[in-house]
Amino acid sequence: MLICENLSFSIDGHKLFSNIDFKIKKEKDLLITGPSGIGKTTLLSVLCGLQIPTEGSIRYNDISLYSLSENKIDEFRGKQLGIVFQSFNLINAFTIKQNLQIANTAEGSQDTDNLYDLLERVGLADKSHIKVSNLSIGEKQRVAVARAFIGQPKWIFCDEPTSSLDDKNTDIIANLIKEESLRHKASLILITHDKRVQSILNFNEILRLGEVL
Amino acid sequence: MILGVTIITLSVLVNQITKNTFTKNNPNLDVVVGAKGSPLQLVLSSIHHIDIPTGNISYKNAKKIMKHPAIKFGVPISLGDNYQNYRIVGTDKKFLKLYDAELEIGFMWEKPMQSVIGSNVATFTKLKIDKFFVGSHGLIDTGDIHSEQPYKVVGILKKTGTILDNLIITSLDSVWNLHSNQNDILKNSDSLEVTALLLKYKNKTSVFSFPRLINKNTSMQAASPNLEISKLFKLTGGAHKIINYLSIIIVSLSFAGILFTLLNNINERKYDLAILRTLGFTRERIFSIILIEGMTISIVGSFIGLILGGIVYKCIEFFSLLGRNIVTGQLDFVYEILTIWSVILIISFLTCLIPCIKVYKQNIRNTLLNS
Repeated sequence: MLICENLSFSIDGHKLFSNIDFKIKKEKDLLITGPSGIGKTTLLSVLCGLQIPTEGSIRYNDISLYSLSENKIDEFRGKQLGIVFQSFNLINAFTIKQNLQIANTAEGSQDTDNLYDLLERVGLADKSHIKVSNLSIGEKQRVAVARAFIGQPKWIFCDEPTSSLDDKNTDIIANLIKEESLRHKASLILITHDKRVQSILNFNEILRLGEVL
Repeated sequence: MILGVTIITLSVLVNQITKNTFTKNNPNLDVVVGAKGSPLQLVLSSIHHIDIPTGNISYKNAKKIMKHPAIKFGVPISLGDNYQNYRIVGTDKKFLKLYDAELEIGFMWEKPMQSVIGSNVATFTKLKIDKFFVGSHGLIDTGDIHSEQPYKVVGILKKTGTILDNLIITSLDSVWNLHSNQNDILKNSDSLEVTALLLKYKNKTSVFSFPRLINKNTSMQAASPNLEISKLFKLTGGAHKIINYLSIIIVSLSFAGILFTLLNNINERKYDLAILRTLGFTRERIFSIILIEGMTISIVGSFIGLILGGIVYKCIEFFSLLGRNIVTGQLDFVYEILTIWSVILIISFLTCLIPCIKVYKQNIRNTLLNS
């Protein structure tokens, strides 16, 4: 279970969001929506341990995230969380396979079967040797999704995963995220404005950031 | 890094091995007496067998000097010929005692034109016991040979690690046979000559008085081997220091090079490094990756420098005049080289820490946003 209590975040004295409380049970999903600039991406960073909240706490089961040392937070993120960033955050100089391998290494696994299986599921098995810099936006998005599921994380975070995709690719990516999170029995926390994605994924919980404030 | 370490290694090798060679080649002789000329040339030619002799002295006078009350013992040597560039030294059997030489095989010369050869001579010329060889006139092989009277190898010496390994030793009579009138030899005439006299004092109080006596009162000169060689090192010391300073500058520049390369690399890859953090790489792990990268450059670069320095030194040794007389198998330089290498690696480590700390302090969220 993921429990957020009284979560607030300020930048230079300006409150971006405050008093956010929610709980997500195992294998349940959460959609985070709200207008641009409201702090959705920052909230996701805070939930993933990339940015320390000004106030509040985050607990994954019995682990209080920000009571851990920074190294332990990094290790926890590597082993328990999968993240699909809005800007993909792939290493452009690496091939598709290398991007997945480095995530595998970070997680501490040497299991390459899962790596090829994921690549096959996202339809990039035959392109695994191609450098990420040479891929289309849709292909990069699929690599980012595949990488997020390496190491079988229990929580998947996606930040506008379809923002730069056409309808066809939006369907593919949204279905892929849904299938993979179901297959890995992972909870999905997703930020999107995209109604098409919201309808495909059918969320259990919705957090509207503008309304909370 | 490679260039700097190559020059340092070369400088250390040349300095250490040359010093050791000069030290080991001198069997604690106090003074050398020979014909007037350069005292350094006399020492180099008669003890280290590098330079050409200053001339000859009368054997009669040499015998008188050996009987001087200040002299414990003396060994006359007569140079003039070589075989395949290995010098043939006419002397008496005391010469071998100077180097504690022992026979590996065969026996000492009993008659003129018999010889014993050093271990390197045996190895490189393939001369064996009972084989004959013809000496060539002069101290380097000119092709002007004494074909009428060949030498016979009767003994091969054990390796001594000194210049003796590179010499062909025979009696004074053998050299006189080839270069003097036969009647003079039979009559032990006053006209017989030797090249130099290697001497040891009875006590060290003669160190100033005896050379003055020879230099002032005779047509000969007396030279102290230790004094002449230390003068030589003083002369070459300046050049050695310049080379050392130059190599320190080059190595310092290479440290700066490593620092800027790493800083530039992490600046170019700060986005990638931030991605690694999001994937679960800890600060310490990324710190280690950068440190290993920097130290790999240093270790590999300096190791290649060491190897290149050794190769260049071997080339110089092979082609130089002194090279042939270098005492091989010396390992005294290893300590100095390892010390220098350790210092280089420690400074490299400290240099690499700067970019590592920069990466360690990186704010991943800001880096990802800015990228």
